[in-house]
Amino acid sequence: MTLLEITSLRTWFPTREGIVKAVNTVDLEIEDKEKLGLIGETGSGKSILGMSIIRLFHPSAKINIEGKIVYKGKDLLRLNKEEMRGIRGKEIAMILQNPATSLNPVLKVGDQIAEAIQLHQGLAKRAASEKAVEMLEAVKIPAPDKMANKYPHEFSGGMKERAMIAMALACDPSLIIADEPTKGLDVTIKMQVVKLLREVTKQRSMLFITHDLGVAAEVCDNIAVMYAGELVEYAKTEDIFKNPLHPYTQGFLNSLPERGLKPIRGMSPSLINLPDGCRFHPRCDYATGICKTRHPEMAEIGNGHFVRCLLYDRS
Amino acid sequence: MIEVKDLRKYFSSGILKKQYIKAVDGVSFRIERGETLGLVGESGCGKTTVGKLLLRLIEPTSGKISFDGIDLLQLKKKELRKVRPRMQMIFQDPEASLNPRMKIGDSIAEPLKLQGTMGKSEIKDKVSELIETVGLNPEHVNRYPYQLSGGQNQRVVLARVLALNPDFIVADEPTSSLDVSVQAQILNLIRDLKRELHLTLLFISHDLEVVRHMSDRIAVMYHGKIVEIGNAKDIFNDARHPYTNTLISPASIEDIKNTSDYHGVSGCVFYLGCPFAAEICSKKEPEMVEIGSGHWVACYYSS
Repeated sequence: MTLLEITSLRTWFPTREGIVKAVNTVDLEIEDKEKLGLIGETGSGKSILGMSIIRLFHPSAKINIEGKIVYKGKDLLRLNKEEMRGIRGKEIAMILQNPATSLNPVLKVGDQIAEAIQLHQGLAKRAASEKAVEMLEAVKIPAPDKMANKYPHEFSGGMKERAMIAMALACDPSLIIADEPTKGLDVTIKMQVVKLLREVTKQRSMLFITHDLGVAAEVCDNIAVMYAGELVEYAKTEDIFKNPLHPYTQGFLNSLPERGLKPIRGMSPSLINLPDGCRFHPRCDYATGICKTRHPEMAEIGNGHFVRCLLYDRS
Repeated sequence: MIEVKDLRKYFSSGILKKQYIKAVDGVSFRIERGETLGLVGESGCGKTTVGKLLLRLIEPTSGKISFDGIDLLQLKKKELRKVRPRMQMIFQDPEASLNPRMKIGDSIAEPLKLQGTMGKSEIKDKVSELIETVGLNPEHVNRYPYQLSGGQNQRVVLARVLALNPDFIVADEPTSSLDVSVQAQILNLIRDLKRELHLTLLFISHDLEVVRHMSDRIAVMYHGKIVEIGNAKDIFNDARHPYTNTLISPASIEDIKNTSDYHGVSGCVFYLGCPFAAEICSKKEPEMVEIGSGHWVACYYSS
């Protein structure tokens, strides 16, 4: 069953220098209980795609969002502020990047988790606090009743990340959007957080945004690769690693230290001045004349393996 | 080139009841000329402190550091200033290392101006030469750090570090804030420059894969101590310390217990997290033992 269906999503930011096309016509589906990985470099638009789903933007931000984001039959882009508030946290929860800045430094961690519970589940303060302790226990924080009364600065990096996960889970959402939840964590702590995420999302769907390919391989069923605001490849996790088709995906994998540390030449394009034709052609070793003018479409090459590249265009 | 003996740095906190944090607790190693020594460990294990101590950016509590035969800790301020150009450091966050209100070209020229041996036009030539060495465009000279990407800024830092022709560089997680593909560019650049300019390098990182790629030898640090040191190949193919093994295959992580309350442990630093811990491990600290040529480990279990 499809839980979330995104069609022709565009998230553009008009600025003085021009329009920043952060998300540029993206189609994506997330099935019930599916873990979908969204990978790409900084500035490829992956966080903005995640934030567009629950419209988590500053009220004063100038944004044009177009397209459809259908969640359980409802188009989220047509909901008003009040209705959207009922979705956020309750139906779709987000685990934000950088827990150190996402938690309120002057509120006790337990109270921060209880806040959402009170709001969405209508529990009284006392019951909500108890539930918050339960949540901390669920994410394996030792001595949860004591830790609930502590402030974020008393938590280590890994513990803060766990607290963020507890907060996201508090209202039992069907979909979790996790934006680089393992960024800045040590290898050992990282693997613990990954293990926890896998455990707590068994019965849910997750959109897992990351540039850490190793972590994506551990967590995700399918992977979508994003470059310069659009998806360039989509396949089962195994296929992405064993048989990457798009030259960008290949380059991305080859730049990993364990695969030889071969960088992709050049830099990601500015989202204001996107190159004509294929967005990747200035950096691509296989680019031919036509790549400079023709913008490739996403096409299915094999069983559920999609790629946006003229190399595989048979027409 | 570098010889460190029993280096210690304790930070104290509290006024009435002083508490000590042993950031670096009895570290010894050597770095040969032209060699890259990788230093790995998780955040908070003291690896950055070791880097700063080597350049005497902070003063150690005790120990000995010799740099090219010079006893660094005996030097007076003036003498130290003469040695400083020969040793440089690349910090983690390039944006924080560059003055946001200074143009790139001026940032790179600054150490040359301070040195005071070059004229204006000479400095200008040297800056263009450096910009080219690190793979930036001449037009970048007049830009500010905020106009460049993280990778480009790290190149600027590199140019500035190279300006004074150093012999020894401490690179402290130079790519931890960069994307994988940019990381690959910067790491390759550092490796090429090291070869061309015959630099000696201490490469600090928490990413063992990155360190493997960059280093001739690797030292693994845990809670202020070096627990294993050896050739990069030996560390990867024949890791002996249980902690090194958890770094190499984080899959074995399930066995690790909570190690946050390690202070006050009198035995092995890894005692609380170690799946093989025996009684002796909690009582007496293991000594470094050579188990292969140049391969040292501090562990009762594996030696």
